Amino acid sequence: MAKAKDALLDPLFNNNPIALQILGICSALAVTNKLSTALTMGIAVTLVTGFSSGAISAIRKHIPTSIRIIVQMTIIATLVIIIDQMLKAYAYEMSKALSVYVGLIITNCIVMGRAEAYAMKNPVGLSFLDGIGNGLGYMLVLLLVGLVRELFGSGKVFGFTVLNPVNDGGWYVTNGLMLLAPSAFFLIGFIIWGLRTWKPELQE
Amino acid sequence: MSNDSTFKTFLVAFLLCVVCSILVCLAALVRIDREAYNKQLEIRRTVLAADGYQDKIAAGGDIDKLFLDNMERKIVDLETGQYTTAVDVATYDQRAALENPELTVKIPAEFDIAGMGRRAKYAAIYVTKDGDVILPIWGAGMWGQMHGYIALKKDGSTVKGFTFYEHAETPGLGAEVDNPRWKAQWPGKQIYDNSGKLAIKVVKNGKYNPNAPDANSTIDGLAGATVTSIHVKEIVRYWFGEHGYAKFLAELKAKRG
Repeated sequence: MAKAKDALLDPLFNNNPIALQILGICSALAVTNKLSTALTMGIAVTLVTGFSSGAISAIRKHIPTSIRIIVQMTIIATLVIIIDQMLKAYAYEMSKALSVYVGLIITNCIVMGRAEAYAMKNPVGLSFLDGIGNGLGYMLVLLLVGLVRELFGSGKVFGFTVLNPVNDGGWYVTNGLMLLAPSAFFLIGFIIWGLRTWKPELQE
Repeated sequence: MSNDSTFKTFLVAFLLCVVCSILVCLAALVRIDREAYNKQLEIRRTVLAADGYQDKIAAGGDIDKLFLDNMERKIVDLETGQYTTAVDVATYDQRAALENPELTVKIPAEFDIAGMGRRAKYAAIYVTKDGDVILPIWGAGMWGQMHGYIALKKDGSTVKGFTFYEHAETPGLGAEVDNPRWKAQWPGKQIYDNSGKLAIKVVKNGKYNPNAPDANSTIDGLAGATVTSIHVKEIVRYWFGEHGYAKFLAELKAKRG
């Protein structure tokens, strides 16, 4: 039980894929200028890491070592394509906002990293939880970055106006930097700093 | 059987491919089924928004019903400015036509201010019950193509509304082309001046003078998005120029007397 809890919850803070392993930065920069896209991307990655780790773990005793990486990639790619197609079918606007980044989950190091480092050696249930946990850890950072960027960049939270921006006749002068990808670099840096100050044992 | 034998390697690879391809095919089937509907709905929403229905849509109006009750699709031959039956009205896809050399013409360099290269010979436009027209326009933006619709009154010059449905402009800067406050400048503006010359233009933000003689053909540009503003101007000026809708609109005006 304790093992399952660790597999699920460790990646949130103690072993966060973005803040500790520094993986998956590219999409964290690209899709966080609004919370709605950050949340959708977070859910998509969580589902892909969870189910790919589960599936890879289920057949791990039958995967020949020589084609191990290809097998993992095929499973991950299949899941990503399914999610991408479902978004295009049922959340058309959202899939347009996320553009290529859903497809790029295939190359997200978090997914591949969990498959290779954890799912290949652990039972199905634990691997699934580990995948979900890492996805949630990724989503947590995305939501934090998205919250700051949307609030200060557009004066909104999940599309609802909080600080009334000048462009809509309000008083808040929006921070243009927050809308551009580089701002996510600074914010992720602050998150890493904050996390390691809170938990000094994470410092290298 | 050893896990690393050649036979097992091929067997695993084969089975995996079969299973994965079946799953991907199923997902694609669902998507193909819905995508045509999604695209149609997006066009209908944009056309209605350009024509001033955005409040009714926001209030929960049924887009398909509003559209079918108010809009009629027609095909215009841009060369002659006349309606045409050369392509099927219901199925003609102006954006897909760009891939087909037979359905496009090369834009002469001196006209190609919007950086398009080629344009479709036929435009799929929408006509309202009152005879107003909603015209598709597109061209290069700052980061990618911008696609939208512009609605004109039946005099062929007064703008009713203007909306993009696809662009890749910078969020918060160029993407403010979607801001309702900016779009609210367009209704009432004149595309052509009294002598019929192309007059509409977008000026740098803050350079708009409401007392200037050409103020009713001038749009104040977006703050912090000079490049996007210039692209919008070029797109509009291309499409209402000689190589765009000018002939069609002249015909429209002549028919109304």
